Amino acid sequence: MPPLLDALLALIMVALAALTLLDRQLVRACVWFVAFALAVSLTWLSEGFLWLAMLEAVLGATFTGAFLFYSLGIGPGAAKPRGRLARWHDPLPLPLTWRRAVLRLLPALAVLGMLALALAGFIEVPGPLRLGGMGLIFMGLWAFALHRHLLRRLLAFNVIGTGIFLIMMALVRNSSPAAGHGLVITGLLVALLGTALGALLIRRINGLDASREPATDVAERGSG
Amino acid sequence: MIARLGLLTPPATQPDALGTVLLVLVTPLVMGALAAIWRPRRGWPIAALALLPLASLMVLSQEVLASGGQAWLIELGTLTLHWRANGLTLLLLWLTQVVTLASVAYAPAYLRVEIGDQGEQRWLWPLQGLLLSSLSLIWLAADLLSLYIGLELMGLTAVGLMLLPGKVEALVAGMRYLLLALVGSLAFLLGVALLLGAWARLDLGGLAMAAEEGMVLWVAVALLSAGLLLKAAAFPLHAWLAPVHGSAWTPVSALHAALVVKGSFFIALQLWLVLVPAAHIAAWLVGAMGGGAVVWGGLLAWRATKLKDVVAWSTVSQLGYLLLGFSLMIGTAPQVAEVAWEGTWLQLVAHSLAKAGMFLATGNLIFSTGESHVKGLAGASCRMPLSLLSFGIASISLIGLPPSAGFTAKWLLLHAALEAGYWLWLAVLALGTLLGAAYIFRVFRYSFVEDAEPPEARRVPWSMELLALGLAMASLLLGLVAEWPLTLLRTAGGGA
Amino acid sequence: MSQAWLPLATLATSLLVVPLIFALPERAWRVRTVLNLSAALLKVVLVGLMVWGLYQGESYRFSFTVVRGVDFLFQVDALGLMFAGLSSLLWLATTVYAIGYLEDSPNRKRFFGFFSLCVASTVGIALAGNLFTFLLFYELLTLSTYPLVVHRGYAKALDAGTVYLRYTLTGGLMLLLGVVALHVMVGDVTFGEREMLADLGPGAHGLLTVLFLILLVGLGVKAALVPLHGWLPRAMVAPAPVSALLHAVAVVKAGAFGIVRLVYDVYGISLTYELGLLTLLAIIATLTILFGSMRALAQQELKPRLAYSTISQVSYIVLGISLFGPFGTIAGLVHLMHQGLMKVTLFYCAGNYAEELGIHRIDELDGAGRRMPLTSIAFTVGALGMIGLPPVAGFISKWYLGMGAVEANMPWVIAVLVASSLLNSAYFLPIVYRLWFRPGPAHGVGEWPAERRTGRFEISGWLLWPTCSTAVLSILAGLLAGLPFSPLDLASFVTAEEYLP
Repeated sequence: MPPLLDALLALIMVALAALTLLDRQLVRACVWFVAFALAVSLTWLSEGFLWLAMLEAVLGATFTGAFLFYSLGIGPGAAKPRGRLARWHDPLPLPLTWRRAVLRLLPALAVLGMLALALAGFIEVPGPLRLGGMGLIFMGLWAFALHRHLLRRLLAFNVIGTGIFLIMMALVRNSSPAAGHGLVITGLLVALLGTALGALLIRRINGLDASREPATDVAERGSG
Repeated sequence: MIARLGLLTPPATQPDALGTVLLVLVTPLVMGALAAIWRPRRGWPIAALALLPLASLMVLSQEVLASGGQAWLIELGTLTLHWRANGLTLLLLWLTQVVTLASVAYAPAYLRVEIGDQGEQRWLWPLQGLLLSSLSLIWLAADLLSLYIGLELMGLTAVGLMLLPGKVEALVAGMRYLLLALVGSLAFLLGVALLLGAWARLDLGGLAMAAEEGMVLWVAVALLSAGLLLKAAAFPLHAWLAPVHGSAWTPVSALHAALVVKGSFFIALQLWLVLVPAAHIAAWLVGAMGGGAVVWGGLLAWRATKLKDVVAWSTVSQLGYLLLGFSLMIGTAPQVAEVAWEGTWLQLVAHSLAKAGMFLATGNLIFSTGESHVKGLAGASCRMPLSLLSFGIASISLIGLPPSAGFTAKWLLLHAALEAGYWLWLAVLALGTLLGAAYIFRVFRYSFVEDAEPPEARRVPWSMELLALGLAMASLLLGLVAEWPLTLLRTAGGGA
Repeated sequence: MSQAWLPLATLATSLLVVPLIFALPERAWRVRTVLNLSAALLKVVLVGLMVWGLYQGESYRFSFTVVRGVDFLFQVDALGLMFAGLSSLLWLATTVYAIGYLEDSPNRKRFFGFFSLCVASTVGIALAGNLFTFLLFYELLTLSTYPLVVHRGYAKALDAGTVYLRYTLTGGLMLLLGVVALHVMVGDVTFGEREMLADLGPGAHGLLTVLFLILLVGLGVKAALVPLHGWLPRAMVAPAPVSALLHAVAVVKAGAFGIVRLVYDVYGISLTYELGLLTLLAIIATLTILFGSMRALAQQELKPRLAYSTISQVSYIVLGISLFGPFGTIAGLVHLMHQGLMKVTLFYCAGNYAEELGIHRIDELDGAGRRMPLTSIAFTVGALGMIGLPPVAGFISKWYLGMGAVEANMPWVIAVLVASSLLNSAYFLPIVYRLWFRPGPAHGVGEWPAERRTGRFEISGWLLWPTCSTAVLSILAGLLAGLPFSPLDLASFVTAEEYLP
């Protein structure tokens, strides 16, 4: 594929990730996530990794999306959510002072800095995969550090994971793609299982919480 | 050191050589599934069936000891997995089997008398089986992909086990654990990606030869260590451990503190020895983290009011001893590294047995008195002597008093530290002993109180008592016969 | 491994009794009594066999490797047997005493279980053949005496236990560090292989001195050397049999025994002399002797006074060791045994007074001699021995100490001996006077604090017999000191055989 289209695809992917992480409405954010996963799938396809494209579409878009919606209470057989989630909005995050923001972002920036230094050691010119991957990681880390809602953190985790997969395949595309495939496939499965566990947790906590005190949003506390 | 890890053994050539290893890995899964369907109510059928995985491990041990170490290659298309088994692997496999089987045998009686019908009990068995298999994979793996699979499975299973009680505290603590585990996995994966990108191979033996100093290596090791040490609850990344134990089921706590955190530690140590065996400044930093863990964990255990918190913080503290092993083995003289090698693994085994026994005994005490606070133990020395005895024997090993295995391990670590001239670790080990004695004897002090009028104690089922006592006695007796596991350690593929 | 079974069997008599006692229910006191007494008797017999064998020239040894270069070693020599003999004899007496003292008390099972473990540790210390094994049983002793100290369970006992642990565990840690350091320097040091350290040459002298001091701190905690003695008076809250055991036989003696081993068997007397450490030991011993005696004067209660007296008396052993020459050595070693006999007598008497008459303070002792004559005679015997008057055994120790001081050219030690004897008189004679010459409740003046009639005679037989036996033994040890197998003879044997400087 011509490099311009590659770059365009990467940009779309990053934009969708940004929308996922920044949207105030949870349901819409999950929708953006499914779109993002499909864009990633297309990216894999354009790079020639058929298996990864398929798995990303199945595991990333379909199953992960399903779990995310299940956690929000949308879908066949899911009970109507009570409490905060009924409003589909996630309330305002903690007032973010500069100090708190810096403290949280510092590890993220450190990781990013180290990664950039390491990647600089690789000779090839960074292509859209690598740059896209780095962009995803940056946004994902930022969102993970600053958000407290479990669902948002799960979304951030998925985005970071995808970023890492992209970087990995960019690095090993020529030398040992088989190993890279193995790692990415395992990673996709792990991400799916992690999101599934998280989704179950969200449902259970909110169920327990709604039956006791509808005023508190349990998904907020404890994720500090 | 690579030889000690068994990474230099040439792989086997016969096609059926893999059979025993696969048997060892798959048997727990099968048994877990069976137990999920059948839901055992008593411990003895489990104890009987437990002979199956033990038997398969016995066969593997004989094969490995006969040949002095074995390695296997598993080809999946163009992908090759490397596995190996030497003395160290066998030691860890045996330890894992013994502790897991004790925990599994403890569970039926525990579920029957304490939990009743709450929580998701049917998932306990398959999750425990999966945990055993994933830990075995971690010990056996000699390439990064297998390690990654094992690590992730172990992490997710551990989170799942912690969520079983189904109560709000358990879920909230479990949520935090899940998030941190996932973050750790990401860091690990990124590190692996860098290594793979730079040197195009995943097998540890090959990486040991191919890895060169440079930015890529440092960043990769930093990322790997960050992820692994987070999962191993190393100070200052330890905050998730104590809350998680507070609400977990007793056999799950025992299994987790004894083995799960050790798995991440093992991978971290192995990777450092493979990739950066001469990085003594960085290793010193990790050692300092260990020192911090010993002191901080000890202080918080001393101040804790709930019994399970004392044991959980004690775990954080004891993991510090293992982290000292980093700085004693990496970048030091060969004779120091040799003594530290033996000391670290002996400390790992001793701590696993003692901590598992201590958690089981604590569970017994809490069940019997109905109270989870340390003060609730008043008068326990006459009412529940057996549980208190198990607790006491396990704590001897934890504090590091003779003749327990903890003492022998501490002796070896002291020897290594003295020989290397690291006076600071001497002070850390000494301080750790004193703090350990402080928080343990604080618990005992309450149990000797005669003034209070305690309510009636519930009778603890025999199987629960005996399992706690058995694990505790194992940690005690291993002290004087420490030469046995150490001889096993010295059976390394490719020579010691 | 020639004749390994005898030392192992001696250890086993008290070690194997422990799980048996814990397995028996609390009510089964008869079985427990039989078990305890038979084990104690068996141990005395076995130690006697080993003594006999040693005189015939046999050697008893048992060892196995624990880790690389570190062996668990039992090796029987004359010095160890002396200590083992003392502890087994006094264990028998204290077992009888404890059975009587704790009658109708709660938690006897726990008490006797840890009691046996305590004696097992002491025997282990006596038979240990190298520093590692010594350290092992030394720490085990700490662990097994803690439940005895806090036995009563009220706040003061628990606090005393905490203080006890702080001191002894820190001491144990210092000992561990010293032993590991020695291992790193020279490997496994079996007792008696003094040349291992001596061969290191003058360059290592600085390091050896530092190590000696570290080891001395570790051992000095249990031996109650000033300023490491703080746990001892606090531990008086324990029941009388525990105090008797702790202060006459097990803990304090173990510390002193350890110092003896350190100076004679690890460093060797000549190396210690070269390093100038003997003078240091003498000074520390002197300080402790004088400090202990002066604090004893200030006490108004009986048991604390005896406690400070112990602190003072045990340092005679250290003083004897620090005198370079055979007389000093004999004095130190013989006082190890004599002090055990006399002190245990005194504690038994204190326990008797407390049990029968509720007496805890000294001024309540008026006229007790009339009410409890045998006990008071025993107390007088013990007190005279402490002061150093013939024919009680204490006189022999002081005599030899004096001769040792002269031989070692340290005449100021004689002044110390005189001063301490005077101080001993100052705090013991008034008690003796009160016992016999002051009119008290037995004469119709006032009342005993809490009188009980525990037996047909002045007090229960369980409590009376051990008291009288040890008192008689104290006299015999002094009168018959010239005979073979007396403590003096054994000490001379030990000195002649192995320690001629």
